[in-house]
Amino acid sequence: MRRHQRILGSRPGAGSAGRPSLGRRQFIGGAGAAALAAALAGCTGGGQMSRESGGSSGALQWWDQFRPLTKMLQDDLFAPYMKAHPGVTIERRQMDVPDLGQALQVGRRSNQMPDVHSLAGLGTSAAALVSEGWFQPIGKLADFQGSPVGEFVYDGIHRFDGEIYSIPPFSGRWHEAVPWFNTALLKQAGVDPEEEPGTWDQLRDVARRLTKGTDDGVYGIVVPSKDAEYLQILVNRLAMTAGAPGGIDWATGAYAYDAQQYADAVEFLVALQTDKVVHPASPSMGARDARARWAAGQAAVYLWGAWFIGGLRVDEPEAVERGVGTWHIPCPEKSRNFVYSPPQPGTFWVSSQSKRAQEAAELMLQMTTKEFQTKLAAAMDQPPALAEVVEEAEVHPAYRQCVVNFQDDVRIAPVPEVATPAVWQVLAEMRDVHPNLGDIVQSVLTGSTSDVAGELRRYNDAMSAERERAIKAVREEKGVEVDTKAWVFANWDRKADYDQKAYAER
Amino acid sequence: MTTTIRRRERPSVAASRDGGRRGLLSRLRQDWWIYLFLLPTVLGYGAYTVYPLLASWWFAFLDWPGFATAGTFVGVENFERLIGDDLFWNAFWNSIVFLVFAVPLRVGLALVLALVLNRKKTPFKGFFRTLFFLPVVTTGAIVGVVFTLLLDASGPVSLALVWSGLIDSPANFAANAGTSLYAGIAVWVWKWLGITLIYWLAALQTIPQVVHEAAMIDGAGAWAEFRHVTMPLLVPFLVIITLIDTVAAFNVFDLMQTLTGGGPSFSSEVIEIFIFRTAFQATVPQLGYASAAAVLFGLLTMAFAIAQALGMRWARGRTGAA
Repeated sequence: MRRHQRILGSRPGAGSAGRPSLGRRQFIGGAGAAALAAALAGCTGGGQMSRESGGSSGALQWWDQFRPLTKMLQDDLFAPYMKAHPGVTIERRQMDVPDLGQALQVGRRSNQMPDVHSLAGLGTSAAALVSEGWFQPIGKLADFQGSPVGEFVYDGIHRFDGEIYSIPPFSGRWHEAVPWFNTALLKQAGVDPEEEPGTWDQLRDVARRLTKGTDDGVYGIVVPSKDAEYLQILVNRLAMTAGAPGGIDWATGAYAYDAQQYADAVEFLVALQTDKVVHPASPSMGARDARARWAAGQAAVYLWGAWFIGGLRVDEPEAVERGVGTWHIPCPEKSRNFVYSPPQPGTFWVSSQSKRAQEAAELMLQMTTKEFQTKLAAAMDQPPALAEVVEEAEVHPAYRQCVVNFQDDVRIAPVPEVATPAVWQVLAEMRDVHPNLGDIVQSVLTGSTSDVAGELRRYNDAMSAERERAIKAVREEKGVEVDTKAWVFANWDRKADYDQKAYAER
Repeated sequence: MTTTIRRRERPSVAASRDGGRRGLLSRLRQDWWIYLFLLPTVLGYGAYTVYPLLASWWFAFLDWPGFATAGTFVGVENFERLIGDDLFWNAFWNSIVFLVFAVPLRVGLALVLALVLNRKKTPFKGFFRTLFFLPVVTTGAIVGVVFTLLLDASGPVSLALVWSGLIDSPANFAANAGTSLYAGIAVWVWKWLGITLIYWLAALQTIPQVVHEAAMIDGAGAWAEFRHVTMPLLVPFLVIITLIDTVAAFNVFDLMQTLTGGGPSFSSEVIEIFIFRTAFQATVPQLGYASAAAVLFGLLTMAFAIAQALGMRWARGRTGAA
């Protein structure tokens, strides 16, 4: 060290008399070494930082995507619980769906999972995640079976190997293609909101009148076609209104994307575009962009989910004040067909890494009470599991109408994993097929292809082949007994809900 | 000053002479503080560059669904799947097209601008340099979002083209399968032009004024001077600048993801978006497959670069022989 001091010109023994000398370089070197030592001490053998996961460091961590629920969850669930349990702190993070999915994947691999989270953005079945050890059961920590939502708890969706892992605080009776309209623009165009466009042709006509009868730069409808997933969902719902059972024909178990109803649904969207009633910037819009354009008064009608109005109230409240209304999802003909949705899956799950499962279970049980369900309805996101509370909840009349319409329009569909638990292994093995339905619709709407029937047939064949491959793989590699019969529900009645009794009688 | 320098040189020269003879441990003990100061950089580089690089090679041989904590070794299966994956090749060629169009455009346009801004007679040089540099310091994702609005069918670009009669009806450049990739290229060139302009200005200022004056005395016009004097002196810089811009052209994720999202119908999906989509947006995220895509793309790009270098050497050899 003396040599260095000489070279760099510092004086030997320059420290204070009577104390060990500490030169500048010694200080910096020492501080660097100390910082390095501290960093190394903070690492575990596995290379992860020593911060304990799952909120055991203090607060109960809660991650979800429900933006309209932000205030309600804080005021009506977390704050009262923290008040009743002084030692508990709850920290919630709301993220957009794709961000949440990525954060959860990264959190899982780095042992930094929140205590409670939703599954948005993960895109896989809860069963697959349960099998990978993501969650811990909560059925013994609180009486979910005896709760008001107990009848909506299904094997293969919420309960695995006899243990309840999650509950559905929301109803399964909803869809994502609700026509929301701007009442001010309807008035300007002389369209009576009470004259509900019940058919596709009537909606086309209303969109034409709206485009023609409003200011320049205002269009009848907006279809955010940058978002292929939105298009996939929209066309799926429209095809159901034309009589399709969904992507799978439950009578045969075969994929049904090549059915005429799907081609008709795509052609309907093309017809709207040909009429020049679709906002011309639609191809550059995602679903939220479209809602913002709708709120800005650039489009009169937008088909999206029940959460539309709750989201507006948070981000563009003036649009709600201005006037918003809703209709039934239109069908091709005057005779109406149902839209099919599976039972609502579990919304919140408790991480297997969490050390606060008891508190998490208690919070989730509180979500099943009628009082909380009423407040949940008032946030106007997805309809609550106890749909009857909407009638007395403080909600916008359009939201109330939307939930009433769901009772008319939606029936609960079968879920293969409930009847045959091994199905989830096939689903987890299946790889994405592209171009999928959304990609195909996007191609058609942007003029990349016009062969709708051919593209749908190719997609249907590819999906069938991929399912066959996945079945073969899990049978051979994992010894799982499953075949395509697991997708057949011969007793499915398209006019009725496929309930617990129907599974038992299958 | 001379004395000081000499005094400081002596030990280092001596150290370098001794270096070969001294063992590693001896050097570590003697100069431990040098290595201590190097340690943060070495650790940072190792953790954030070398480890991910090596890890991605290892991951490429795994079947790793993103929900599992670890993958299982599957050999070269991921690479075999990639070779038969049309969307991988679509993304690969989109990246190559991006490179082939964007880099010459950015390098060439920046050179032209630099020549103009380097002239003594050009007014408001400082203002224009700042103006061209402004997009460089703007976040790529923000640029993507803003240009989504500017380039859509109701945006000012489309309306101006319709008004001027260049197109018949409004066009959505970022959301049309035929133009989305080129819209991305144009926005990328616009955004990064300023930094390449700075490189060129720095390069131009290394050319001594006397060289220009000598050319002028010899009667060279502006074009002849550029062609026979300026350009040959700029060639070493051209190589470096092209290399820097080429590397940058492979890092366009933020811009393309926000501008087009790779669509419509994968028409502007570059390799980074393909990797991101496979790793994070698939129904079952495929980390091994995404890593294999990154590795294969790297290898193929490297093969292209080597082939190009060999081709150039061969061409130079033939020219020399002739």
